[in-house]
Amino acid sequence: MIQKKICLLGASSVGKTSLVKQFVEGIFNEKYLTSIGVKVDKKLVSVDNQEVQLMLWDVEGYDRYNVFQEKYLRGAAAYIIVVDQSRKTSLLEGLDIHTLVRKITNVPSILAINKSDLQANNLLEDDEINQFLKLFNRQFNTSAKTGNNVEELFQAIAELTIEGD
Amino acid sequence: MGKNTSVSQTESQQELEQLRAIILGKDHHLITDIVNDQARELVSKVLAEALHDRQSKDGAINKVLLPIVEKSVENSVTHHSDRLISSLYPLMGSLVRKSVGAFLTDFIEKTNQLIEHSFTIKGLKWRVKAWQAGVSFTHYVVSQTYNYRVEHVLLIHQETGLLLKSVNLDQQSQNDADLISSMLTAINDFVGDSFQVNKDGLKEQLQTVSTDNFNLLIKPGPSAIIVAAVIGNPPQEVSEQLQITLEDIHRMYNEEFEQFNGDNAPFENTENQLRDSLLTEEKVSELSLNKKPWFAWFLILITMIFLGFQIHHWIQLEQLSNRIMVIDQQPGIVVQRIEVNDEKDITLDLMRDPDAISIEQWFNSHQLSFDDISLKERRYFSLSPEILDLRVDKILPHYPNVEKHWQGEQLFLSGNIDINKFEKLTTELADSGISTSQLDTQGLRLNNNDKLVQNTTINQQVFKALVGKISTIQLDFDIGSNQVTTAMVVDLQRLANQFLYLRKLAKQLNINVALLILGSSDNTGNRNTNSKLSKARAESTANALTQLGINKEQMFVTGLGQIDIKDVKYTSRKVMFNIMYVDNVPKSFNQSRDGT
Repeated sequence: MIQKKICLLGASSVGKTSLVKQFVEGIFNEKYLTSIGVKVDKKLVSVDNQEVQLMLWDVEGYDRYNVFQEKYLRGAAAYIIVVDQSRKTSLLEGLDIHTLVRKITNVPSILAINKSDLQANNLLEDDEINQFLKLFNRQFNTSAKTGNNVEELFQAIAELTIEGD
Repeated sequence: MGKNTSVSQTESQQELEQLRAIILGKDHHLITDIVNDQARELVSKVLAEALHDRQSKDGAINKVLLPIVEKSVENSVTHHSDRLISSLYPLMGSLVRKSVGAFLTDFIEKTNQLIEHSFTIKGLKWRVKAWQAGVSFTHYVVSQTYNYRVEHVLLIHQETGLLLKSVNLDQQSQNDADLISSMLTAINDFVGDSFQVNKDGLKEQLQTVSTDNFNLLIKPGPSAIIVAAVIGNPPQEVSEQLQITLEDIHRMYNEEFEQFNGDNAPFENTENQLRDSLLTEEKVSELSLNKKPWFAWFLILITMIFLGFQIHHWIQLEQLSNRIMVIDQQPGIVVQRIEVNDEKDITLDLMRDPDAISIEQWFNSHQLSFDDISLKERRYFSLSPEILDLRVDKILPHYPNVEKHWQGEQLFLSGNIDINKFEKLTTELADSGISTSQLDTQGLRLNNNDKLVQNTTINQQVFKALVGKISTIQLDFDIGSNQVTTAMVVDLQRLANQFLYLRKLAKQLNINVALLILGSSDNTGNRNTNSKLSKARAESTANALTQLGINKEQMFVTGLGQIDIKDVKYTSRKVMFNIMYVDNVPKSFNQSRDGT
């Protein structure tokens, strides 16, 4: 079976854990996130009739109290930067993380603009977004609350990892 | 001295190399070409020896050959199963016997262990301790029974933390081994990052994770980590075995590690190496080799005794049931249902003729206890010969001169009886269930001489009563038949007796009598035929009466033909009787008749 390590990165409270929860089967308690800064879950998806098991490393949010957890990126086949569309700072922090990751690895990346169920906030101007989008392989407007685009997001990341081989 | 020798050997070796280089130079390939040409011959010469040497050295041949052989056998089973079956056939019988034997031994041993662990004081103690320690009982038993036992071995890709292969002691798949692998890698990363870097500048690595009874042994390698989950305290030996396995795997799968892209299929065959690490050591105290499985035998003995007792009890109840069932053969008793649940719990549902033996009496006469019987008794009227005989025996004492004897189901009465009592006797017998066809009274002599009433007036009364009685007798014939049935004979017997008595009376009263026998038919069919049939009925009746002792000359026989009266015309297949009487002394008798 093919397995791929995927990292979920982003600022605090952008909904990384909720996105994973929407999608996976897991055995570990969320307290691991706060104790060692990461929690791993898995999910089987199918790409071109081939089963791919995604090992999803939900890495603790990056903020002024938490340093960037570079160690957990080792061996990742792709990563997802999650931002909160209602908080502009989360986008900026996401881009910071992206820049840091790019120094270490060149694997495919997806930008997930989460909380699409909330009223769109004008903090993110369209031009601004378009400029950032070039930095990522794909981009999705997701909602962990309604499940909107969540399956598609993970399907896309699985496809990216297979294409990369 | 030895040292000098080895130094000089090394030097000469180097010199030889130099000489070769000088001589052969760029023509080195000539040599290799020649070697290549003869490669097959050269290798075949030493192949077996080389395999043997390498196997003796580190056992690597086994590990390389095992997957190849497995694959070949698998192929052979899939494509040439017939050939394989015929080769293996002679072995099958003994294989099956051995396997069954091993299974039984294992079963008894396991049962014994289960009982020991479950029901003994030690087992109970362990249960309490397991509960106190918050671990499962099985876990605790393992920890107490084994010095150590390697439960799982995981091979994890160093960089990505992805699971390459896992093996388990109990063969069941560890579904979450992949998640555990990743988390363990994360924890390892966390430890490595969070604590100080060691003096060589390398990150710290987790080596063991220990709890009271559980150990994770972690051996990191350049491309993969091997992790063993061990219950109990593993000795150095386990750690060494893990190290050897890890090195083996690195040596053999170097290329696969370099090309690893998340697909763990190439590592499927590492199972053999990983299984080498599933080591176990039982505690010496538990390892009494000659220990007999006493508990299992004891359990089997108890079970056998219990079964024996049950079977004995069942047989006893069955015998008791059979003994009681004999009551069904008793005349006048029909068993509907018998239920013997226990010696003290017997249900009996039956039907009993009031003349049959009472149930309690029967039980007592058969030495059976009646106290524990729950009896449901219903009455019925039995026609079995024994009961009929009983009833006859109750009736006959009222008729002291009458005797009986049975021939099959036929009852023959003989002796003397008063003509008046005869009627009563036949009625009583009919009421007791003896049909007229069963009864033969030809042996009875009707006593009337002695008791014949002399008084003329009374005689006249009796005479007329007899005339009346005779005229009430009618015989019913089947359609188109003139045959006198046995049932009719009984009536005719009665009639004959009465007529004979009537003649005696008539003689005394000076009257002449004649018996009129009148046949009739229904009105279906031809009138002429009916007329003949009615006559034939009357005649056959007359013949029967002749045999019963009545003189033919005293009978007038005629056929009436069909009786065209609406109410009777369909059923008037009869023979009727009447008495014609004529006075010899018309005066006195006529006076008397006119007077009535």
